Amino acid sequence: MIRIGPSIRPKYFPAATVDPDAQAFITAAGITDATQQSAINTLVTDLKGYGVWSKMKAIYPFVGGTATTHKYNLKDPADTNAAFRLVFNGGWVHSSTGALPNGVNSYALTFFAPTPNADKNSVHISYYSRTDASGGIEMGSEDLSNVSYCLLGIKSGANNSFVAIGDYVGNLTTNTDGKGFYTAQRISSSTVNRWKNGIKTSTYSQSSVNNNTQIVIGTWIRSTGTFGSFTTKQCAFASMGLHLSDSEASDFNTAVQAFQTTLGRNV
Amino acid sequence: MITIKDITPEQYSTYVGVLTVEDKDSLIGQWYMPDSYFNPIQDADDKWVISVEEIDQCVNPDFMWVKNIPLIPFVPKPAPPFP
Repeated sequence: MIRIGPSIRPKYFPAATVDPDAQAFITAAGITDATQQSAINTLVTDLKGYGVWSKMKAIYPFVGGTATTHKYNLKDPADTNAAFRLVFNGGWVHSSTGALPNGVNSYALTFFAPTPNADKNSVHISYYSRTDASGGIEMGSEDLSNVSYCLLGIKSGANNSFVAIGDYVGNLTTNTDGKGFYTAQRISSSTVNRWKNGIKTSTYSQSSVNNNTQIVIGTWIRSTGTFGSFTTKQCAFASMGLHLSDSEASDFNTAVQAFQTTLGRNV
Repeated sequence: MITIKDITPEQYSTYVGVLTVEDKDSLIGQWYMPDSYFNPIQDADDKWVISVEEIDQCVNPDFMWVKNIPLIPFVPKPAPPFP
């Protein structure tokens, strides 16, 4: 008689599924920390689940703690200008909480210009600030030949936020705390709105105009190559792309806030 | 003469390192640490300067001399106006 012992059945655990876009970024940026990898994967799946991913042209998660890991665009993590990879200039300080500009001479080229890379009547820019400081423009560009701006100033004055996307008309709104997640977006040929932490804080009228000057992060740049005022607000996320609906803007904030919370750097 | 050895990190944003025109020309387009490039700018007196962060973080062996350049208080040029 053949005695057969208790069978040993191998147990199969499904491998954790990593979104291919998240994996491409993780590989390109060389992200080895498991928490950071998980945060990136969740961010990508959240943005896709909310239907926001397709509206993004460039997403900078600022994970990994170095200029090399911070430079990659989550949407297209190729190390090329055409992929909107950042090029850091001046005195940035990179850490696990983001990229800190010095307010003296630091900026990052994005190679993304609002008109050819988004749409004259549909564009957004966003910036997650971990610093409550006054002064500076966090990101933007000015096209002198088309007489147009694309600017996001979170707390450009003592207690106000400045936004302009289009002709030489801007909009000031009270903002007493420079920390948080800010989005400015042109939603039509005549209307711009801004958001802070998922709340729409203003809507105003401004005419849309082509802007062929690339946006920079850390200040704003004129088409002549001169710079505006530099910021000192630490950046833990930034993005550029087409505009979002109100519900999408709210969902976008939810995803970014969750991302920051997972990384322990939410403000 | 003040150099980076004489100030604390908390004072970095209030000082800049002074460059000669030749120094400035030699730094343009050069990296000070991986994926980070020098950005000489002119201050309110049109002196060419770089930030203390660039000096402090420089690991490019060709440009370690920036560690010894003199520091001065930073007075920025007025930024272009916006509406």
